[in-house]
Amino acid sequence: MGCCYSGETDTGKVDQGEREHLLPSNQTLPNRTPNGSEPNSTNNPAARTDEQALLSRILARTAQNIIDVSAVESQGMEQHECMDRARQYSTRLAKLSSNLTHWKKLPPLPSLTAQPHQILASDPVPYADIQQVSKIAAYAFSALSQIRVDAKEDLVVQFGIP
Amino acid sequence: MDFSPRHQVSKTSTLTQGLERIPDQLGYLVMSEDGVLASAGDLENDENLASVIREMVTAACSFQGLGDQMPFKRMSIVFGEHSFFVTVSGQKIYVVKRQNVVREPISV
Repeated sequence: MGCCYSGETDTGKVDQGEREHLLPSNQTLPNRTPNGSEPNSTNNPAARTDEQALLSRILARTAQNIIDVSAVESQGMEQHECMDRARQYSTRLAKLSSNLTHWKKLPPLPSLTAQPHQILASDPVPYADIQQVSKIAAYAFSALSQIRVDAKEDLVVQFGIP
Repeated sequence: MDFSPRHQVSKTSTLTQGLERIPDQLGYLVMSEDGVLASAGDLENDENLASVIREMVTAACSFQGLGDQMPFKRMSIVFGEHSFFVTVSGQKIYVVKRQNVVREPISV
């Protein structure tokens, strides 16, 4: 795989192979100059009117944004090569996904109710209840913040040192 | 499975029919494991809220203190002006945003 890198070692070839673009980069496109600037804009500025320069700039910009698949030189990807690559990608993905604990499937949700609409439409939690909970939480917070160590003896004691 | 547009529409409308009529409703959102199935009002296309609510529901459902009993029927997230009400039914999470009704001042 990867005819461009055929001189490399086996491991190198595998790594390059999966990062290799399926289409060659834009440089082989016919309408594009290597540095991406509009063609011939500086060669004969006197011969061009502003309008022409503007039009050619638009043309160049459009050409940069288009990948003309029919104009791209074929790399000769055979069908079996495509299959090989697809298999390679899926083995890599399978190997990676087994390591990703974050993407492990969550446990199924329990069904809390058979009538979701009624449950959602019923009266909200009474304001007094919310106030009470807030008050209790505030008390708990205040109590927690007042916990402290009351040092009554020396914290450092010396053992048997004459 | 039939994925024709008409099928989708009829399925979605049965999901959301009741939600539209909830009093003081400002918006709603219905999601499955795969993503948001329906949304409207303030919650329209709110993927961010959807993922936050999903995490909260998963956390709340993991409290198994009551044995086999349902841990709860509804989760209420109360803010000053509005509240979110969340429930789960048939592997779907339902979220409704409701305006908090103005309370009468209590005279002591």
